[in-house]
Amino acid sequence: MVFRDRAAIAGVGYTPFSRDSGVSTLTLAVDAILAALDDAGLGVDDVDALATHRVGDSTPPWVVAPALGVPEVTWYLDQFGGGSVSHSVVGQAAMAVAAGVARTVVCYRAINARSEFRMGGTGRGPAPLYDVQYQAPYGHLAPPQQFAMFARAHMNAYGTTGEQLGHIAVTQRANAVKNPRALKRDPITLDDYLASRWIAEPLRLLDCCLETDGACAVVVTSRERARDLRWPPVLVSGAVWGGGDSFFSGTGTDFTVTEAARVAPRLYAMAGVGPGDIDVAELYDCFTYSVLVQLEDYGFCTKGEGGPYAASGAIALDGELPVNTHGGFLSEGYVHGINHIAEAVAQLRGTAGDRQVPGAEVALSTAQPGYVLAGTSALILRADR
Amino acid sequence: MTGRLRGVRPEPDRDSAPWWEAVRRHELTVQRCGGCGTLRFPARSVCNRCRSRVSTWTRALGTGRVYSWIVNHQAFLPGMRDEVPFPVVLVRLDDGDDLLMYGNLVEGDPAELTPGMPVEAVFEDVDDELTLVQWRPRR
Repeated sequence: MVFRDRAAIAGVGYTPFSRDSGVSTLTLAVDAILAALDDAGLGVDDVDALATHRVGDSTPPWVVAPALGVPEVTWYLDQFGGGSVSHSVVGQAAMAVAAGVARTVVCYRAINARSEFRMGGTGRGPAPLYDVQYQAPYGHLAPPQQFAMFARAHMNAYGTTGEQLGHIAVTQRANAVKNPRALKRDPITLDDYLASRWIAEPLRLLDCCLETDGACAVVVTSRERARDLRWPPVLVSGAVWGGGDSFFSGTGTDFTVTEAARVAPRLYAMAGVGPGDIDVAELYDCFTYSVLVQLEDYGFCTKGEGGPYAASGAIALDGELPVNTHGGFLSEGYVHGINHIAEAVAQLRGTAGDRQVPGAEVALSTAQPGYVLAGTSALILRADR
Repeated sequence: MTGRLRGVRPEPDRDSAPWWEAVRRHELTVQRCGGCGTLRFPARSVCNRCRSRVSTWTRALGTGRVYSWIVNHQAFLPGMRDEVPFPVVLVRLDDGDDLLMYGNLVEGDPAELTPGMPVEAVFEDVDDELTLVQWRPRR
């Protein structure tokens, strides 16, 4: 496999996460990128490529690059999409590096997703996507509603319960308690979960991720170059983006299976590992249910067993598959995927502090697992020690 | 029956306009491919099995089975405040397994929804220009 392990993540940077940043998404992007470059031991003069994704809610590379004073941009990516494409941004950056098209790519996502553009709606109409006309007239237009619909389908098919979803929320909050960056650091119990109000039955408030102002950036460069920088490289062993079915494609209309099930075999083959080799899994948690279904679709348990698996303790920090070790989007903050990648890097560097998974060498980090935009994306990252 | 818009006005596209016009006439339709005969929904100008561009709009049975549902409690738009909680159902049409439509359950108790429950389409006239397909338990 020519792509495997040729590119590496050499730097990670964040802005603070908040409910109101008070600054523009351009400022957030610049701050996160500068922090990531500093973490790598690089400067703006080293940057020759930028990559991001957005849904009309952020600042594009061709604004960020001149604002930073990047000398010359040789490659950039301004991808349309939300969470489902989050990991393809870093995957494509790695591909550009592996192809020799770019040398140092800064990948970023910068959003005021609480104070300006809320994914959960609350005042604005739905994004102008093809399928919206068949749902939005019925008041069905927000992500929690869509995932509630899929969660119910899973409950109908496999007997999955709200308590099982609750175990995911409780486990991730326990991780966030150990994460100084997390917005939600008060422990919660299953009773707290069950007492939280309905958003869209069968999903409750504590099934839903936060809406967050903030930015996160990662620096992608070649493995050889990364070895000369500040940290041991975190290699991009596998990167996948694709799928094919959406909830209105007229095919693949079993909504208990996501596009993750389709891309997972290709991703594992690319990286030369299997589910049993994954030490840490950062699974896209826009909602608890998206974690549950990905436990199945990435092969950690069989189809239908995601609920019992999640409730068994397997996904806790000391379990067989620590999941969302930073607290995830439910409790750390929601930067649409890239903060999962950043956490995986911390785990593989061994710098995750109180929440460090001992000896973590291989991590899976994933995007929103499909339905919307007919695809997903994911990375397998590996420590280069 | 008359009804209310719980969400936002649909914006038909060049492919879907005939479907919305049929709904306005209180007819539930799906597309039939002129090449291979496959039924499809939502509206598309090309068949994803045989790539034929030829199609006709054909009357659907108007019945289906509940595949999934939610009861929405959050007012995601200001206009929803007086509507919550309200149920949304995802219905698998009896015309074919891959034909799904959304709608509100406009009769019956959402607490009595079960997977596979038979439902039938009803037409809600929202105003002088818009009609919506809705669903109720099949009698």
